[in-house]
Amino acid sequence: MTAIASAIPAIAAKALTVGYAGRTVIDGAELSVAPGERLALVGPNGAGKSSLLRAMTGVLAPRAGTVELLGEPVEHVPRKQLARTIAVVPEVADLPFAMPVAEVVALGRLPHEPPITGLRPTDVAAVDGAIERIGITHLRRRDMRELSMGERQLVFIAVAVAQAAPILVLDEPTTHLDIRHQVDVMELLVDLNERDGTTVIAVLHDLALAAHFFPRVVVLAAGRVVGDGTPGETLRADRIREVFGVDPALVRLPVGAA
Amino acid sequence: MSLTDRRRGVALLVVLLAAIVGGCSSGGASSSPAPSVAPSPSAAASEAAASPSPSPTPAFPVTITDDEGTSVELAAEPKKIVSLTPATTEILFQLGAGDRVVATDDGSDYPQQATALPHVATFSSVDVEKVVALEPDLVVAGGLGFTPAESITKLRDLKVPVVVIYAPSVEGVLKDIELLGTATGTSADAESLTTAMRADMDAVASAVASQSPKPRVFYDVGYDDTTGAIYAPADDSFLAEMVTMAGGDVITTGDPNTYEIPIEKLIEKDPQLIILGTNPFYSPTPDAVAKRRGWDAFTAVRNGDIRPVNDIEITRPGPRLPVGLRTLASAIWPDVTLPAAS
Amino acid sequence: MAAGALSRDVEAGGLAAWVRARPLVVGAVAVAALLLTLVLGVGLGSVRVAPAETFAVIFSRLFGIDIGVTVSPATDVIVWDLRLPRVLTAMLIGCALAVAGATFQGLLRNPLADPYVLGTASGAAVGAAIAVLLPVQLVVVEFGLLHGLAFVGALASAWLVFRLGGTGGAGGLTRLLLTGYAVGSVLAAVLTMAMYVSGVELRQIFSFLLGGLGGSSWVRLVVAAPLIIGSSVLIMARGRSLDGMLLGDAAAGHLGIDVSRERGVLLALASMATAAAVAISGLIGFVGLVVPHVVRLLVGPAAHRVLPISAIAGAALLSAADLGARLVGDVPVGVVMALLGAPFFLFLLHRSRSGYEL
Repeated sequence: MTAIASAIPAIAAKALTVGYAGRTVIDGAELSVAPGERLALVGPNGAGKSSLLRAMTGVLAPRAGTVELLGEPVEHVPRKQLARTIAVVPEVADLPFAMPVAEVVALGRLPHEPPITGLRPTDVAAVDGAIERIGITHLRRRDMRELSMGERQLVFIAVAVAQAAPILVLDEPTTHLDIRHQVDVMELLVDLNERDGTTVIAVLHDLALAAHFFPRVVVLAAGRVVGDGTPGETLRADRIREVFGVDPALVRLPVGAA
Repeated sequence: MSLTDRRRGVALLVVLLAAIVGGCSSGGASSSPAPSVAPSPSAAASEAAASPSPSPTPAFPVTITDDEGTSVELAAEPKKIVSLTPATTEILFQLGAGDRVVATDDGSDYPQQATALPHVATFSSVDVEKVVALEPDLVVAGGLGFTPAESITKLRDLKVPVVVIYAPSVEGVLKDIELLGTATGTSADAESLTTAMRADMDAVASAVASQSPKPRVFYDVGYDDTTGAIYAPADDSFLAEMVTMAGGDVITTGDPNTYEIPIEKLIEKDPQLIILGTNPFYSPTPDAVAKRRGWDAFTAVRNGDIRPVNDIEITRPGPRLPVGLRTLASAIWPDVTLPAAS
Repeated sequence: MAAGALSRDVEAGGLAAWVRARPLVVGAVAVAALLLTLVLGVGLGSVRVAPAETFAVIFSRLFGIDIGVTVSPATDVIVWDLRLPRVLTAMLIGCALAVAGATFQGLLRNPLADPYVLGTASGAAVGAAIAVLLPVQLVVVEFGLLHGLAFVGALASAWLVFRLGGTGGAGGLTRLLLTGYAVGSVLAAVLTMAMYVSGVELRQIFSFLLGGLGGSSWVRLVVAAPLIIGSSVLIMARGRSLDGMLLGDAAAGHLGIDVSRERGVLLALASMATAAAVAISGLIGFVGLVVPHVVRLLVGPAAHRVLPISAIAGAALLSAADLGARLVGDVPVGVVMALLGAPFFLFLLHRSRSGYEL
């Protein structure tokens, strides 16, 4: 389906420089994501992908340059509204107490819930919907701490989906997943993007997944954007060799998904 | 640096800390003035009239200042008294107020009649409910933490008159007896009791005062077998005063705030006579004492001069003090004939 | 890791599942227990008071109604001035400690946290010791210097730990906990030296440390209640933030929670409640650590259930334990509480070993 036509980018990073205590991690990066786009961010370890994401989601203040959310500088957007606009899939964390999966996913509704009264029927519906969509209904009542890493990752993705934000950001969402679940998650992202119009930005380490499921791939190396375009353009053999330092064998499959 | 110096240094540190946190102390210090009595004006007028006046002066209402400086008002002669210290129980019975005592602490073991009374306190707590249920018009408590301060406050909050006494010296005991006499309307009995006690104790003290040379006396208050900790009279304490009155050169801990004495210090002082204060909680035999680690260094142990005495009579600040003094004096000067008891 | 076949789904859990699904039932049971301990606590004590007399006192004092039972002045004092404030104070303290404990556990993401984890216990004890050693007598609205400095000490040490330990960040929670431990140790050392030096006053400091409700009175209750109830209510209003923080600082931030501010506010509120509780009744353990866990085992970890039910359960437990302590005699309330609560806790742990373990 079509992306929502709009001149204003959903997220735009301009001349972005980000660093920690003396180290510069992102150096003058430019990245503009239109609403309804689906893009994969790839690059070698230490390229700054996570830092770029953190700056773009308003967690890390840039040293120079700006990040704009729908035209607004991200630091001016109130916290709650930011949470309603951008959903970031959390890192798989250890919970200190036993907690059923359904309740964990329900935390995704925090940005929407009224503070005192708690979950409304719409919130509950969103939670149930997210659980179904990720395909973890059979895990609803299970204790988070008993699940395998892969199952937990799915739950955390469900949290972000329950957040029902127009922009969905994922940082290496498939690290603990087996191949079937990897494909499932990718297909889910495509579905969210094409059916709901959700803008999806995913950091991936698996180039094959990136190439197959994302129409736009941005390559980051040493803090700079060194490639931005279709997989065909950015993931050519010579580019991969240059950026990743490996000699790839590229196989073109008959195209199944768009 | 000696233990005392180090402790003083730490005390200074803690005081500095306290000063930084709490600021310098301001008024309201709670010292212990001698208990005073302020009878109501009419009583004062008639008292001032003449001592052999036959007409009974109204002793109540009366306002008493207890040993902590608190003013306690007694509207009428107390008919139901609760005693929270063993010494108070003894005093009250001796003053003829024993039939008015309705409850005691669990340590009150003398006189015999007192043991039948219900107990409302242990060594660590007071059952305020039980005290209140008895509806007493006078409660006598022990100061310096003997009776928990919180319980005293609680009772006073509930409008129960509480008089707190403690005696840091022999003279203090006599003053407390007179205080209780006033509080219970038995001042005459109190006065004759203290006069007799004073006379008796003075007689005993004079009998041994001229004896010389005074033996170095170590009054064994307690001993811990596991740690070897030794307990002796503290400087300027009641017990030290008793030993001195009984004609001994008392060995003290060197510090008015502690009862513990390190063994090296005791060896340095070298007691010639060890008096064993025995009571239901502490009653070693002289043989056991002689066998203690390192104690054979003492002259007293080598000569076998270890004498047990009844600790209660000597240390309880009550009417049996003269008996205690006699026991102590006889233990220190067995060959001296003491004047007959009055 | 546990595969699906091996771990039991809660559907098969029977009673546990039934309880889980009905938090309102758990809450109702807790309230019932609370009312029962209130009734028993006022009616029972070391002096026999007939139930009719108890009611007579309460009716006449509360509503001014004379129900025709004559009551001696002593009984009136015992029921109204001694027992009722004491039972209510026990409930207040139990509530404060349980809520504070649950809050610290959630904030620090540590199931072993209790209300004293940020050095509040040692701070209060040092404050109390200083009060006892200072030659100053000061009483303000029935609170002596002891209570005042205990309160100040508790708050001061929490603040100190907070300043030194920081508000989180990478490894921040561990750092906060360790700072709490370190500050607590230093204060405990100061306390030990103070006790060593103090001689006679030692007894007062000790009895404060043991913790007890003997000093309860209406005035103290009225002064402390707003502090404790206020802090507890404010904490409960922020319950969802507490839940969000269970996922970690980053995730909570992405969910719209201002983590450093919420953490600071919640720590301050919980420390305030703890300090007020300690100032009144000394150091009472067990409630703050165990009650929240028991409640979680019964109704799950969501703050909007755990906090109110812990408050009620903590209140009931402490007043029941205090009643037990009063009836048995000279036993510190902490001992009775551990004897009452620990076996029940162990039982719950045993039952949930294969399902919702802690």
